Amino acid sequence: MKERKDMAGDSAFAEKAKQLFDESVEGLDGETRSRLNKGRQAALEELKTGKPVWVQWAPAAGVAAAAVVAVVLWTGNPPTDVVTLEASASDFEILLTEDSLEMLEDLEFYSWIELAEDADETQETEDIVG
Amino acid sequence: MNACVASFAVSCESKDRTGVRTLQREQELNRFLAEVEKRALRIAEISVRDRDEALDLVQDAMIKLARKYADRSSDEWTPLFYRILQNGVRDWHRRQVVRNRVMVWFGRSGNEDNDYDAVAAAPDPKGRTPDEQLQSQEAMQSLEIAVGDLPGRQKEAFMLRTFEGLDVAGTAAAMGCSEGSVKTHYSRAVHSLRETLGEHWQ
Repeated sequence: MKERKDMAGDSAFAEKAKQLFDESVEGLDGETRSRLNKGRQAALEELKTGKPVWVQWAPAAGVAAAAVVAVVLWTGNPPTDVVTLEASASDFEILLTEDSLEMLEDLEFYSWIELAEDADETQETEDIVG
Repeated sequence: MNACVASFAVSCESKDRTGVRTLQREQELNRFLAEVEKRALRIAEISVRDRDEALDLVQDAMIKLARKYADRSSDEWTPLFYRILQNGVRDWHRRQVVRNRVMVWFGRSGNEDNDYDAVAAAPDPKGRTPDEQLQSQEAMQSLEIAVGDLPGRQKEAFMLRTFEGLDVAGTAAAMGCSEGSVKTHYSRAVHSLRETLGEHWQ
């Protein structure tokens, strides 16, 4: 009998606690609700972008691989020596870096440097011969 | 050629279906989080006694759920979410212990800035007379303090069962223990709270 009364008391207690808790939840202020909303949006954003890294890079890797195949087929002369392979790899590395676009914009400047260096070398050779 | 076109069409259709599924999943997760976030915040707030910290913990739990368990069945989300949140709360308490030790080392009390005021933090319930409002606030304040003083596992069991309304199995999954342990922790918590708060509270 006492046990049953205790259980009923526990149940009534839990009910009252739940009611008070729900009231406090319902009365949360606007700022807190707004911050919760922002947190939720951040979590959902994670759902959109939270794929493994290799999945994110897969399209770019596919395009790069296709470009390699295209270049090899176009030239009809697959690279055979290590130096050429290394050069091709470094060329792609350069092309894939973010700076490559800036380099293309300054192409005229780089051409000028190359010409200037050639001119210097020619001058040095003439000096030595002379 | 026709085979290529057909294969492209199938690929596009498959992408569309995947996109629709992702969108549906996102909407489902949004609904779940919107439904659970306010109660989760109050539960975390009672545990750490600081709203800003509780907001951070809830946001971390939401992000972890989205990142790791979005593909799981939505039925599993509630216990998983609360498991992540409870782990976050436990980690927070561990960090506080270390922080307090460091503060003591430097001759300061780690609780100096712990000026939590449950009455001030308690929101205003709507549609009640000021007297009723005050009574509710006082009752909730007493309950929060009493629940906050419970041992960790009893606190978790009580809040998940009573405030979140999880059943024994769900609470066990969220707490990472057996159903028997949940029953024991919950029963002890209720008896302890009733004793602390006294007959007049009920």
